[in-house]
Amino acid sequence: MREKLTRFFGSPAGIISTGSVIGLLAAYLPELGNPPNMGVCVACFERDLAGALGLHRAAPALYLRPEIPAFVLGSMLAALLFGEFRARAGSAPVVRFLLGVFAMIGSLTFLGCPWRALLRLADGDLNAVLGVAGLVAGIGLGAWFVKQGFTLGRAWKSLPLTGWAFPLAMIVLVVFAFAKPSFILESEKGPGSMYAPVLVSLGVGLFIGFIAQRTRFCTMGSIRDAMLLRNFHLLYGVIAMVAAAFVLNLILGRFHLGFDGQPLAHTNHLWNFLGMVLTGLAFALAGGCPGRQLFLSGEGDGDAAVFVVGMITGAGLAHNFAIAGVPDQVVDGAIKVGGLSANGQIAVFVGLIFCLLLGFVLREKFE
Amino acid sequence: MTKESHAVILFYTSNHAFRAEKMLDQEGIPCKLIPVPRHLSSDCSVCARITRDQMEAARRILDAARVETLGIHEI
Repeated sequence: MREKLTRFFGSPAGIISTGSVIGLLAAYLPELGNPPNMGVCVACFERDLAGALGLHRAAPALYLRPEIPAFVLGSMLAALLFGEFRARAGSAPVVRFLLGVFAMIGSLTFLGCPWRALLRLADGDLNAVLGVAGLVAGIGLGAWFVKQGFTLGRAWKSLPLTGWAFPLAMIVLVVFAFAKPSFILESEKGPGSMYAPVLVSLGVGLFIGFIAQRTRFCTMGSIRDAMLLRNFHLLYGVIAMVAAAFVLNLILGRFHLGFDGQPLAHTNHLWNFLGMVLTGLAFALAGGCPGRQLFLSGEGDGDAAVFVVGMITGAGLAHNFAIAGVPDQVVDGAIKVGGLSANGQIAVFVGLIFCLLLGFVLREKFE
Repeated sequence: MTKESHAVILFYTSNHAFRAEKMLDQEGIPCKLIPVPRHLSSDCSVCARITRDQMEAARRILDAARVETLGIHEI
């Protein structure tokens, strides 16, 4: 039975089913309370989580999103059930941490990770076209570096507790999500105040974590594999996710085509593009999209966990130093275009230079 | 050539896979880089697909070139 399931999840039907289910759930979560056009966004949810833990104090972005720990724990359950939980770590932790920081800064420039960029497309948000174009450019650059010999080194088998540490921390977060102790912050207005019932978020997150671990669903990997290997397996899943979310959005009346007036988005095309170039490049160098990093953390990968901690730290920095992008707003009946502060622009450039340096320098010599 | 006649070489890192592709090509061993089959690993890295009859030759070449492999599996 286990082998049959593994074969199914590894097949085109498996990845297409997984992508479709994720797309449907992501499109439906706003109906249940999650912010509009943000049914699932790993970067945004980690940003809210960072706020809930007091790592920043951006009033509209404080909520301990149960989806994040649930992604990790769903993946952990799948890995345990199928005998794939392996504690491993040890490859370039500081570099991975910094890649996580800059991946988050790039995502918050655009206002969404690769998952939300694709889901915003399915909502009709044309600003996401610029974001996805930037994402493809960044991943293409990262894939080129990998082909030229870029490496962060190999992971090594580790003591079991090192693999368990991150999932255990996620269990504590789930307890906090239910118990809501006073030191966990929560927004009174804005996207941080919009959320589905905790049990629903937890259940959806566990389910997505489980099927994504079985299929290796990865938004970054789908584009990397198509470019590097001419292999479209993961891309089928991503296309299925967008298509399923698109259809459900049409049915629910949530599809609104255009640039202006999109929820939690800005129309500054240059920074939408450049932010996602940085994000795509950072994820490609780190070897997985934000969701995939959570799923890998769940199966005992300490290197992926370090990257996730970097992303959460990056969210804190982005809001504390006014680096994050600002959505367009309607002020006195007129649209006030958002975008990126000077601090944010500098941070994106620093991130791009950092990633380019890594790409050129971190290469293994064989001779 | 049927699918059953293939084997895959797994690596610890993707750059070793690209290095292996180059080395095997130079030695005249047909090789195609593909994602690691799901039933072999949960890792989403790259592996090299060769024909089964080239498994030993490929192993020797990669060992000599100090390309670290995680294993060779028939698929």
